[in-house]
Amino acid sequence: MPQDNSPLTVIQMANAQLLPEVVKLLDEGHTVTLPLRGYSMRPFLENERDKALLKKTTTISMGDAVLAELSKGHYVLHRVVGIDGDAITLRGDGNLSNEYCHAGDVKATAIAFYRKGRSTPDSTSGRKWRVYSWLWTRLFPLRRYLLAFYRRIWLKFFKPI
Amino acid sequence: MKTKKGFNLRNVCGERIVVAEGIENIDFSKIISMNESSAYLWSQVQDKGDFTVEQLAKLLTEEYEVDENTALADSKTVVKQWLDAGIVE
Repeated sequence: MPQDNSPLTVIQMANAQLLPEVVKLLDEGHTVTLPLRGYSMRPFLENERDKALLKKTTTISMGDAVLAELSKGHYVLHRVVGIDGDAITLRGDGNLSNEYCHAGDVKATAIAFYRKGRSTPDSTSGRKWRVYSWLWTRLFPLRRYLLAFYRRIWLKFFKPI
Repeated sequence: MKTKKGFNLRNVCGERIVVAEGIENIDFSKIISMNESSAYLWSQVQDKGDFTVEQLAKLLTEEYEVDENTALADSKTVVKQWLDAGIVE
């Protein structure tokens, strides 16, 4: 992989084209490190700052952060908040509304996140992610206010968490 | 020098990127991407044993309308990039 002195350029690819390729690589047995875009997994994950380490999904469990294809070419990396047989309910940590898909639309599971440019990832089986997940999921009734506070006040004075 | 084994070119969304066979993780935050001429050279020398900068320059003059000096300079640049990227030895 490129060293410090090789030309590094950022290539932005459209999700609809990139993610099917990512899914192909996952199917071949690779894991994939994917830079994240968007704000829907705030406060833990930040747009264009953090990366997810993805693995092909074998089992879907409550609380997993998964890459799912909600409709043709429309992918999200959101948390599983409901499983009813084949019917899966997802919700981004930074969102208030749910999304629905089938188990077969869940393509990958995040096994770790690289945050704030660090080279050591936070594993999703590790203590930090589990404590955060437990807390943030239970605070859902207050989420609207917490997110508004985070966006309107916290980010005015401090860096993203 | 020669190409390291198993570094294959794949087309991902119109980008020619190098994916190492057998490597477990593919990191999309630091992928090796090649332009058309670099990809052409790679496909010509991959897994074909030793090659030199002069041979690359010859390949370039055969395929593109470019004079020898430019081809040689470009070949030196591409070899340096390949060495930096760790895909030739």
